[in-house]
Amino acid sequence: MATAFEFAPAIALFPLAAFVIALVFGDYMPKKGAFAGIFATAGSLLLSLWVLATVAGGEPYNEQLYQWAIGDQIGFHFGILLDPLSALMLVIVSLIALLVHIFSLGYMNAEGETGLRRYYAELGLFTFSMLAFVFADNLLMAFMFFELVGLCSYLLIGFWFRTESAPSAAKKAFLVTRFGDYFFLVGVVAIAATFGTLSFAGTESFPTAAEAAIDNGETLFGFDAETWVTITGLLVLGGVIGKSAQFPLHTWLPDAMEGPTTVSALIHAATMVAAGVYLVARMFGFYAQSPTALSIIAFVGGFTALFAATMGVVKDDIKQVLAYSTISQYGYMMLGLGVGGYVAGVFHLMNHAFFKALLFLGAGAVIILMHHEQDMWKMGGLKDKAPVAYYTFLSGALALAGIVPFSGFWSKDEVLFDALIVGLEQPLFLAAYAMGLIGVFFTGFYTFRMVFLTFHGEPRTDAARDPHPIGWSVKVPLIVLGVLALVAGVVNLAPIGKLTGAEITFLEFWLDGEYGAIEGLTYHAYHEAVPFAEGYIGTETVTMLVGAGLSLGLALAGAGLAYSLYNVPEPVPHTEKLGSVRTLLRSNYYQDEYQVWLAEGLTLPLARAADRFDQGVIDGVVNGVSSVSLFGSGWIKRIQTGVVTNYAALLVLGFIALLVVLGLHGGWFA
Amino acid sequence: MSVPVDYYVLLSMALFCIGLFGILTRRNALMFLMSVEIMLNAANVNLIAFAFYHGNLTGQVFALFTMALAAAEVAVGLGIILVLYRNFRDVDVTVPSAMRW
Amino acid sequence: MAPLIELHSWSALAPTLILALTGLVLFVFDSIDPRSTNRSALAGISTAGALASLGVAVWYIVAGVGDPTRRGTFDLFGGQLIVDQMALFFMVVVAVVTAMVSIASYDYFLEHAYQAEYYSLMLLAATGMSTMAAANSLVTVFIALELASLPSFALVAILKTNRGSVEAGLKYFLIGALSSAIFVYGISLVYGATGYMQLEAIAQNLEGAEGFSGLLGLGVVMLIGGFAYKTASVPFHFWAPEAYEGAPAPISAFLSSASKAAGFVIAFRVFATAFPIETMADIGIDWTLAFVILAIVTMTIGNFAAATQENVKRMLAYSSVGHAGYALIGLAGLTGTGSNDVVLGAAMMHLLVYGFMNTGAFLFIALAEYWGVGRTFEDYNGLAKQAPMASAAMTIFMFSLAGIPPFGGFFSKYFLLTGAIDAGLLVVAVALVVNSALSLYYYSRLVKALWIEEPVVERDSLTQPTGLYVAIIFAAVMTVVILPGFGPVADTAIEAAAAVVP
Repeated sequence: MATAFEFAPAIALFPLAAFVIALVFGDYMPKKGAFAGIFATAGSLLLSLWVLATVAGGEPYNEQLYQWAIGDQIGFHFGILLDPLSALMLVIVSLIALLVHIFSLGYMNAEGETGLRRYYAELGLFTFSMLAFVFADNLLMAFMFFELVGLCSYLLIGFWFRTESAPSAAKKAFLVTRFGDYFFLVGVVAIAATFGTLSFAGTESFPTAAEAAIDNGETLFGFDAETWVTITGLLVLGGVIGKSAQFPLHTWLPDAMEGPTTVSALIHAATMVAAGVYLVARMFGFYAQSPTALSIIAFVGGFTALFAATMGVVKDDIKQVLAYSTISQYGYMMLGLGVGGYVAGVFHLMNHAFFKALLFLGAGAVIILMHHEQDMWKMGGLKDKAPVAYYTFLSGALALAGIVPFSGFWSKDEVLFDALIVGLEQPLFLAAYAMGLIGVFFTGFYTFRMVFLTFHGEPRTDAARDPHPIGWSVKVPLIVLGVLALVAGVVNLAPIGKLTGAEITFLEFWLDGEYGAIEGLTYHAYHEAVPFAEGYIGTETVTMLVGAGLSLGLALAGAGLAYSLYNVPEPVPHTEKLGSVRTLLRSNYYQDEYQVWLAEGLTLPLARAADRFDQGVIDGVVNGVSSVSLFGSGWIKRIQTGVVTNYAALLVLGFIALLVVLGLHGGWFA
Repeated sequence: MSVPVDYYVLLSMALFCIGLFGILTRRNALMFLMSVEIMLNAANVNLIAFAFYHGNLTGQVFALFTMALAAAEVAVGLGIILVLYRNFRDVDVTVPSAMRW
Repeated sequence: MAPLIELHSWSALAPTLILALTGLVLFVFDSIDPRSTNRSALAGISTAGALASLGVAVWYIVAGVGDPTRRGTFDLFGGQLIVDQMALFFMVVVAVVTAMVSIASYDYFLEHAYQAEYYSLMLLAATGMSTMAAANSLVTVFIALELASLPSFALVAILKTNRGSVEAGLKYFLIGALSSAIFVYGISLVYGATGYMQLEAIAQNLEGAEGFSGLLGLGVVMLIGGFAYKTASVPFHFWAPEAYEGAPAPISAFLSSASKAAGFVIAFRVFATAFPIETMADIGIDWTLAFVILAIVTMTIGNFAAATQENVKRMLAYSSVGHAGYALIGLAGLTGTGSNDVVLGAAMMHLLVYGFMNTGAFLFIALAEYWGVGRTFEDYNGLAKQAPMASAAMTIFMFSLAGIPPFGGFFSKYFLLTGAIDAGLLVVAVALVVNSALSLYYYSRLVKALWIEEPVVERDSLTQPTGLYVAIIFAAVMTVVILPGFGPVADTAIEAAAAVVP
């Protein structure tokens, strides 16, 4: 009887096959290869569900498949790790990928795009990379597919490469994330060199080795073990910050909106950006060893959540608003993970995947409706003309804003709750919590500003008055995701569980290995390792109710403000009243400017100096060696005078020299 | 009383050096050839003396081989010197020096 | 497995005997029809003879002749000749080079007067080289060496009205005569010190030579000189650039591949068998040191002098000197600290691969001379456009000679490098790497001329002479396919080497 695990590699290989098929035969296939991708991702989804069921049956899987480099101390291999976390993520990724493929039929094919063969091929490769990244069993394999994910985003963001902005955005995305990945790579090497293994799980894994090193009080590379774990963890975190668009490497993400909206959905919900946070969750056992690293994760997350949310307030382009909301939401996940809320972080990752995919696909639907217009001020009144798009988008918006009972509420609330209880004992974390909390208000505001401007009021342009119809391939993914955005929260209704005492926190049980997991990779194990004490206001229930009330109240306040300002027939741009603050926000806090300044003021002179060194010293030495060789050549060949008597003389001289050397060495003359 | 083997070796070395000197100084191809013959015969002196010294015949037999081969070598050498003369109108070995460096 | 037919033990020498017989058949042919210009018959006979010799040698290797665990080695004439795996290995090299050169000569000597003489001299020289592979006594070594040398002198000078050919022949002959005089004097000294000429007997009587250590040392250095001459190693290499440049290109190919390989086999056998390292070191004659010095100096002088040549054939001639330096590592590495069989086997492999790539390269020169395109790098410009096939083959030869990975030359050089490092000869290893890097410069310069440069003068369309093309393509194919087949080749070479080194 074949088990699901024997087919596990196929989860990633299906999309790879789709990539090859679309690339080679795409032009000759109906819909330019879309069906190859749809079937492949559907196959991946089915297999992922089977794997999920098998893991739920108590059978995790951790196998090396192929060892591709073997050294004395360390070997590098490809392998598959299927535990509750990766099984869950596989389902999410393949589901979103499937829906995006279907949506593309309406968004790309129906709109008469060219280059669809390339589009579907790249989409397949993208899905393949992400799936393989998710089930990677070691850090190096994860890094390789992490890079491949980055490459695919580059290709897809630059899909419309004939425009001026798309290639530049693609380059920016590539370079900024690469900047982070550089640290990641150094971290991988450091971890491999320190612990001699890169596996995530098992007794031979680097988190286990790190724990042992800390317990034994070892000194690694001149640091005590915990400091070294912090350093290596932070190096890896560099890659995470780049990919998950955390401050200060978030600047690529808004620009990445130049890609097709379907690609944005995939990048933001399930692949590129999710990869970073997923990596933190994947090696959480390692980060759990280092309170410093966790604090940094928490603060980066909390700050990014607030920071990005404020910028989202003033954007006019529907995709830009969503882009900033993505940055902000990933900030929440980082905050959750940073305070030790592993379940909360993963829970929010899952919910966010659903509602953000929904919102982007909804935005895609709006863009179809609006004949490819993205400025919200030119929309309005689409509610009645496209009810499916409206209601599903509303579902996503409610989830994003965190309004009960939509999924986003439950997970965001849990993140904030975890931050709060840690903050009550370590007041430092209260600051991170506060930033997250204030972010909730802004989230509510910009989300509903977007909803009202887009769908409510009177149509403000001809396009909005006469929208383009949307087909089934657009509606089906929206409906599926709309339902999920509403109900996905039920997998972990922690507050209700605590109030009623019912055992309904399924996700927590799932991640805690109640249904089977790999030793050491459970929430329980992580929770013990995280060195933060937890405190409560009164009892746990009271604390929870206070936290939930605060965040829900703020979200409603934000939404309400948006309602009062923008849910009118003829809204006006109220944000202009903010004056210089608005300019600051619209300029994204001048983040791009200072990074460009850094690049031009610091990096370029350095690069020039390096170039001069290379051209002058290195090349000089190389050229010098070659000219000396050629000069020597000209000299050596003169030995051959052409006169045979000279040859005889040289021959005899050489012979005598050899004789003398050998004689001296052998002591013949002694 | 026989002559000790050392003297034979000294004789052959003297012959060898004379031949070598001839090769290094003579420019006439025929003289060059003769010098080589002297060197070969120096070896023959050695071989026969050592055969006597060791009391086996290997050296003597080999000396016969050497003489035969020396003759063959001279035959080929004379042929080459002949074509040398035809092409260069000279038997000076330093004249053909077009190929060098 | 019982053998099909029980042969007499001298039939172990069949590869050599076939070559000798073919040479004699050609003489008979010549005496019946002295003015024959029937090139097909002559080239056909010599090629057939070489191929037959090759076939028998390969068959013997496969059948296990010379393998101590299977058919055993064959001692002939009281140990004067020996047929073991190493002998057969080099008989293969000699036979295959002879076959390629015979085929190529069919076209090259189109208008030539002395057809039969040419082929019979070549076959007799090949006989000598083949005998060198089996020679197991200083007597047979010397006779075989002269048998190989004397026809070679005549072959180099065979273009009797070509001043270059005559000059080359003269220089080759004079240096050769001097070297063989030194060599035979060395033999007489070794004989004087030990009382024997048979190699094993010399080894057994070294203890008795304590009193003659000076004579023995001088004799050994003189023997080294003789081998250095035959393998074109410094300081006895002076004949090589001129002889290879002036000789007809097929003969250059023949001498630089087969003759060099034969020179190495006697050097390997004499030093590994007659002068065991430990015993000689006790007497104070550390001959590996001499080979270390020779290897470094030879590869350096060869490659450096090749680097700035303008004449392609002369460049290849110097590169041939450089490759002799690489192969000398096989003897330099017999220090006993590393694995002797690997380093010696590596040198054998290198000579085999070299037999293909270097022969091929010189045959390409033969092709160019046949076309009459000229001698310098500029003259070769843009040949790839007119003769892509031959140019591709030449590119393979060049890259293989330089030691670029996909080709055979890389592997043998790589084995030599690891062998040198194993033996603790870091200086030699560094010299090998530096020289290989330098050699890439001049080899790729030719490739660049062939493929990238524009022709200096307009050329008429070039013909495709069958014989030359067959030989060149065969050499190119062998240079490439020797890679997948390297496992068995390496095994054979190392096994053969292990049987010779103590």
